[in-house]
Amino acid sequence: MLLSANEITIQFGGLTAVDKVSIDIEENKITGLIGPNGAGKTTFFNSISGVLKPTEGHVTFLGKDITGKKPYQINELGISRTYQIINLFKKMTVLDNVMVGMHTRLKSGYFSSLLHLPGERREEKEAYEKAYQWLDFVGLKDRAREEAGNLSYGKQRLLEIVRGLASGPKLLLLDEPVAGMNTAEKLEFDQLLKRILKLGVTIFMIEHDVNLVMGVCDSIYVLEYGKLLAHGRPEEVQNDPEVIRAYLGGE
Amino acid sequence: MEKTQKNRMKPYIWKLLLVLVLLAVPLIFSGSDYIMLIICIAMIYLVAVSGLDILFGYCGQISLGHAAFYAIGAYTSAILYNRFQIPMILAIIAGAVLGALVGAALAYPASNLVFHFLSLATVAFGEIVYQLLIHSPGKITGNFNGMFTDRMRIFGIELSTYKMFYYFMLVIAVVFIIGKIFLTKSRVGRAFTAIRDNSVAASGMGINVRKYKILSFATSAFYTAFAGGLYMFLACYVHPDQFMQKQSVMFLTMLLFGGTGSVIGPIIGVLAVTTINESLRFLEEYQMLIYGILLLIVILAMPGGIAGTVKKIYWAAKRKFSRVSQEG
Repeated sequence: MLLSANEITIQFGGLTAVDKVSIDIEENKITGLIGPNGAGKTTFFNSISGVLKPTEGHVTFLGKDITGKKPYQINELGISRTYQIINLFKKMTVLDNVMVGMHTRLKSGYFSSLLHLPGERREEKEAYEKAYQWLDFVGLKDRAREEAGNLSYGKQRLLEIVRGLASGPKLLLLDEPVAGMNTAEKLEFDQLLKRILKLGVTIFMIEHDVNLVMGVCDSIYVLEYGKLLAHGRPEEVQNDPEVIRAYLGGE
Repeated sequence: MEKTQKNRMKPYIWKLLLVLVLLAVPLIFSGSDYIMLIICIAMIYLVAVSGLDILFGYCGQISLGHAAFYAIGAYTSAILYNRFQIPMILAIIAGAVLGALVGAALAYPASNLVFHFLSLATVAFGEIVYQLLIHSPGKITGNFNGMFTDRMRIFGIELSTYKMFYYFMLVIAVVFIIGKIFLTKSRVGRAFTAIRDNSVAASGMGINVRKYKILSFATSAFYTAFAGGLYMFLACYVHPDQFMQKQSVMFLTMLLFGGTGSVIGPIIGVLAVTTINESLRFLEEYQMLIYGILLLIVILAMPGGIAGTVKKIYWAAKRKFSRVSQEG
């Protein structure tokens, strides 16, 4: 397993947002996380990416316990993420957003930056070219010099994804990646996911778009009221009476 | 072909012209020692305000206590020179290093504070340093008597005239501005700006937010403390009251009025505020009121300062022009 979350519980005061949830993410697969609003999906994501420390339970990544590590440490270890509410560097250029994404892959320190030493110059030049390649990957090359905040919602989603990829992760966490995308962008999105997989990056995503989730995921986890309701291949989950009840609200 | 060559030459011509003007400044004002002194002080402020810009403009961290770093630079360099006969330039560097260390020590606990609490913490820091200046152990700072020292001397040459100091300052200012450009356009500078724009996302992208906040604080303090040392050996005398809250507010006014997050912003801000200050000398007791008015103008009417506003107008005009030419 690339990542295992073992009996994760997250409490806010007396409220239990996530209750003993265990999941496994297989390498080179797309794993989906679905559930009604308020089921605790994003909270669970936050516990993996280090934004929240789980009250109980452990997260293991590549055989290492990463529970309670800070977000920047988790990114260094090879987990990158996007956010439900877009979290770009809006006043920076599209290109700079990607170059910030490459932060952990670059080595130049404070003094070589301040003095603009030859090693730093070389690295910056390479990073600059690499960043353009990343932008090409999602079709944003022409927009490189614009402020990220000027992009359309859908394009901002793409930029956030490619910024995440630029840090060279083993695992990419996507929190509702197609929210705000137009139909054309949505249709192209499953192709993008497949191209990301080809880079050797495993995907774990929260998504409400049922067609997308059922179409691309190899494995799906369903959360309801912070508890794991079901788990299995898309067709299994789709026909699970508990899942149908949770989504349609039947008796 | 001819046109592209012309375009390629254009920036060089502007740069050459700029260098010539900068070199000619003492000749233009050769009649007035006073104006040359003001220009020298303005250039020292430029170094200090550029430092504040690294912290505030690029990293988004407020400081209302930068006069304290200015004081640390001034007093440390004077004490090292007066008591231990350390060469002035080394004394200035030592003062700046001490300023950077104090800045880092302040930023370590303060890096968790959000904007308005950080501003309060830096006000308190400024006040503490001021109190130390006026009640120093063993009167090492001269307390209310202030502190005297000698005129700037470098490599055995005394910069006896303001004209000489000007040329020395020109070199220093250029070095510090180039340092600022290098730093802000690097991996480190991108980390600063990322923190300013969105610290949650910055952390998510592998940036150790606390570390980079400390680095920006230390760099900023180095710049401002270095400026303090320069001021010490230009004026040859300082009084603690020069390092009160008012000085910090002045640095911030210069930065905000000129425009944050750029090279040109602090230059415009220092020139504009110095000019306003000098032309309103007869209103000296109302200086804080003037800063207040300037800050209100910036915050209400032109966020982005003079530089930001000019840039905005330029882009708007350019867009309009290109639209017209497309239609035509």
